[in-house]
Amino acid sequence: MRTLRAFLLRLVDLLREQRSEDDFAAELESHIEMDVEEGMRAGLSAVEARRQALIRMGSAEQARQLHRERRTLPWLELLARDILYSLRTLARNRSVTAIAVLSIALGIGANATIFSVINRFALRPPPMGDPASLLALHVGHDGGQCCNSFSFPLYSDLHDQAKSFSGVSAFAELVPASIAGGGEPERVFGQAVTSNFFDVAELPMVLGRGFIQGQENAQEVVLGAGLWRRQFSADKNILGRTIKISGHTFTVVGVVTPAFHSADQILYTEFWVPLGNLSQLASSFPPPSSRDTHWLAVIGRLRPGVTRAQAGAELQTLAQRFALNNPKTDQGNSFLFEQAGSVQQGNRRVMTLFLTALSVVVLLVLAIACANVANLLFAQAAGRQRDMAVRLALGATRRRLQGQMLIESALIGFVGGVLGTALSLWFTSVLSGLRLPAPVPIDLSVHVDWRVLVFSFALSIISGILLGVAPAWTASRPRLGNALKGEDTLARPGHRITLRSLLVVAQIAMSVVLLCITGLFLRSLKSAANIDIGFRTNDLLLMSVDPRVHGYSSERTVNFLSVLQQRIGALPGVASAVVTDVAPLSMGNRSDSFSVDGSEKSDRSEAISDLTMTTPGYFETMGIPLVSGRDFGGETATGPKLAIVNRAFVDKVLRGENPIGRHVTGAGVHYEIIGVAGNTKSRTLGEELRPVLYRSLQQSVAQDPSFLGYTLVIRTEGDASGIARAVRNEIHALDPALAIYNSETMAEHVSSAYFLPRLAATLFGTFGCIGLVLASVGLYGVMSYSVSSRRREIGIRMAMGARPGTVERLVLRQGATLTLIAMMLGWPAAWMLSKLAASFLYGIQPHDAFTFTVVPPVLLLIALAACWIPARRAATVDPMQALRTE
Amino acid sequence: MPEKTDVWQGTLALMVLRTLESMGTMHGYGLARRIEQISGDRLQLNYGTLYPALLKLEQEGFVRSRWGTSENNRKAKFYELTRAGQGRVRKAAAEWEKTTEILARFLSPGEEA
Repeated sequence: MRTLRAFLLRLVDLLREQRSEDDFAAELESHIEMDVEEGMRAGLSAVEARRQALIRMGSAEQARQLHRERRTLPWLELLARDILYSLRTLARNRSVTAIAVLSIALGIGANATIFSVINRFALRPPPMGDPASLLALHVGHDGGQCCNSFSFPLYSDLHDQAKSFSGVSAFAELVPASIAGGGEPERVFGQAVTSNFFDVAELPMVLGRGFIQGQENAQEVVLGAGLWRRQFSADKNILGRTIKISGHTFTVVGVVTPAFHSADQILYTEFWVPLGNLSQLASSFPPPSSRDTHWLAVIGRLRPGVTRAQAGAELQTLAQRFALNNPKTDQGNSFLFEQAGSVQQGNRRVMTLFLTALSVVVLLVLAIACANVANLLFAQAAGRQRDMAVRLALGATRRRLQGQMLIESALIGFVGGVLGTALSLWFTSVLSGLRLPAPVPIDLSVHVDWRVLVFSFALSIISGILLGVAPAWTASRPRLGNALKGEDTLARPGHRITLRSLLVVAQIAMSVVLLCITGLFLRSLKSAANIDIGFRTNDLLLMSVDPRVHGYSSERTVNFLSVLQQRIGALPGVASAVVTDVAPLSMGNRSDSFSVDGSEKSDRSEAISDLTMTTPGYFETMGIPLVSGRDFGGETATGPKLAIVNRAFVDKVLRGENPIGRHVTGAGVHYEIIGVAGNTKSRTLGEELRPVLYRSLQQSVAQDPSFLGYTLVIRTEGDASGIARAVRNEIHALDPALAIYNSETMAEHVSSAYFLPRLAATLFGTFGCIGLVLASVGLYGVMSYSVSSRRREIGIRMAMGARPGTVERLVLRQGATLTLIAMMLGWPAAWMLSKLAASFLYGIQPHDAFTFTVVPPVLLLIALAACWIPARRAATVDPMQALRTE
Repeated sequence: MPEKTDVWQGTLALMVLRTLESMGTMHGYGLARRIEQISGDRLQLNYGTLYPALLKLEQEGFVRSRWGTSENNRKAKFYELTRAGQGRVRKAAAEWEKTTEILARFLSPGEEA
């Protein structure tokens, strides 16, 4: 306390330095005068009394110094003075400082952004009670194949028998619904949870409560904060109000914290109802009594004091017990778990790989930036050697000089860090704005939080100091003799490999790696653009509805859709209108394993095939060629099931035999093939050709309703987006309560399917370009420094008869040598690293010959261009001037 | 002439405080002289160190200072103990007594038996 008070007073005294100084001088003066008087009173002469008084006082200057040191904070004063001095130096070399700060800002911005992504997907715990004791449980099969969901009986056995958990809760992860508060009904996804969900998750609530344990059928709903704001304008009195969810009445009992969207932190769900209501809201979920349909996600709260290892051991015992009791369904099952909200085990490898690749790249960018700035500082230090030598000669300590240069680089690092963090705010908001082309809501938002801030701060300080250490060390030990003679003081005779050349080699080598990877992704984007998706993208409008969640029976659904189809088809400007379940390139689809009927089990070929519902005219509307056979038309809902398959299906399931009239079976349903259609990309752009079986919508809605609703595909004459309003009106004319979603043109839909290649190409392209610019600036800096320090040598060469061309070649050769060495290091590294990128490339090999042959010469050209200016300068050296000493 | 001792580290502050406690308000010169007198001129006080010590005590809030006029009509800076300073003297004195007492036990001969 007292120390703090003293510290503050000293801090204040810093500001009134002069007044205190005068004050103390007056005090000393009065002290001496009194001493003199006393001496005179004792009989001494005035002169003798003053002499003795001064002797007793000791050195007045020393006293003043001691007093000053005690009065203020000398180290702080020194530091402030050094910082001011550094700021002045930095301001004087404005362009160098700007380049340095910008380089570091780009490096740190890139790192902070990627770290935000890592933080989002791997570090940040969900906002649910104590995150460490909340586990997400999965069912593994046959030695750990992750990650199956739970069946209801399996969950309830676990719930009743597991002793390691204080609570285990299950939920259906995605329940589609339409909710309207005030305005137009909106399509949202929610979760149906066991009544103990909120107690297990320990979710903080904005308003109200969770569900009461045991009341599995209560007609109650907990809203997400976003939905509450959007549809109910954040009404504080909403508790107890009844709202309609897909036409059913629910009472609002709570609003959950805005940060929570789902326990896995991936899905974006916005309401929660007790599991007993599931059958009202969605008919496609399996009956709870079935033990072999896995459809529930499960979380468990560890009992206090129970470790994860103990829980794991108990779960293993339970799995064995369940397998004994239910050999048919539970044989070979095991339980797996991870902390809820962290990356699921099954995805961990890909995720880790992707994030590691990104981190490596951004760290490379930062390393290049640091090397670059270090080089600039070197060149600057070279220009200040005279200054340094003079200060050393005047008695400044090396440590003082080093400290001062470190302060300079730390300042650059710090300012760069602040700027970089600002950049990362922008980058993350751009990233959060990207929409995945998935039909279910996925939360990809990435934000800068305190972890990111701490990370960037640490990174900027570390890089600031790292980039200053080498220049500070060298610059603070100039060769005094040389300096006073006006010669180069940093040159160490006999040292041909300088630290600077090493830095530049490292920098170019890293650029080779970056550029190769960038080249790969750009090539991948280009080849993705050339992918034949197999259907038309122009003049098509998509719009989805889900009559089923509004309580429509399957018959009514089919009727509704066919009336709607007719009415829209009759609109002016519409060429044709058809209905499907999910438009292609939506990342997911219904799929089953298919085989040909009648063949022997031994030579039967099975293949997973996607299933797509269509109405007559689908192929013509979509521009998919019908290769042989006929389109749907005239079949009845209860008649024999018909199907049209694509070529890939013919190749994989029927081994290329003529398919017309053959029968195939998938998931116990028999189909007769009546036609063959051209191949299309079914789920994603990057996929291998997938078998697709088109079935009649009319024949499928009853047994196998679409989970994701139904999509109208409307072919227009002219601009597709212009007709959207009219189509909406037609839908609401039939049923004003229906929520309309995914309204977009096919062109927009397909362009969002380019999400991944575009994201990768953008990210790597940006980083690659930044790295390349930084490296060429660095090379330029080194070469111009080298030329300026060899001026005299060049002058002598020219005086001895060297021609400008020879001198130019001399400099270029030096630059080219550095570049070539760097390439010999960087190229193999890039070759090895490119394997990491393999799973994110479209249509090209990781060891793409084009990229790996084009990048080196391009880089060499750029490097030579960077050396060209210094080389020109060397060639124009005037020998007379260079040889004349000042 | 008795041999003069340098002031031990840390004891000067206590001497200053104690002197101010017994003598009331004093200026720096008077304080220096008084300390030397009390020690029977056996202490060699470096005046240069007295003032930083006073400053430290002032910064810590144990003494306060103001400019005034001395008995000889000279302008001088006067120091006096604050309330916190009074408490401090008592505490420091007690601590010091305890320390010397312990040390005395070590130094006095023939008592370990």
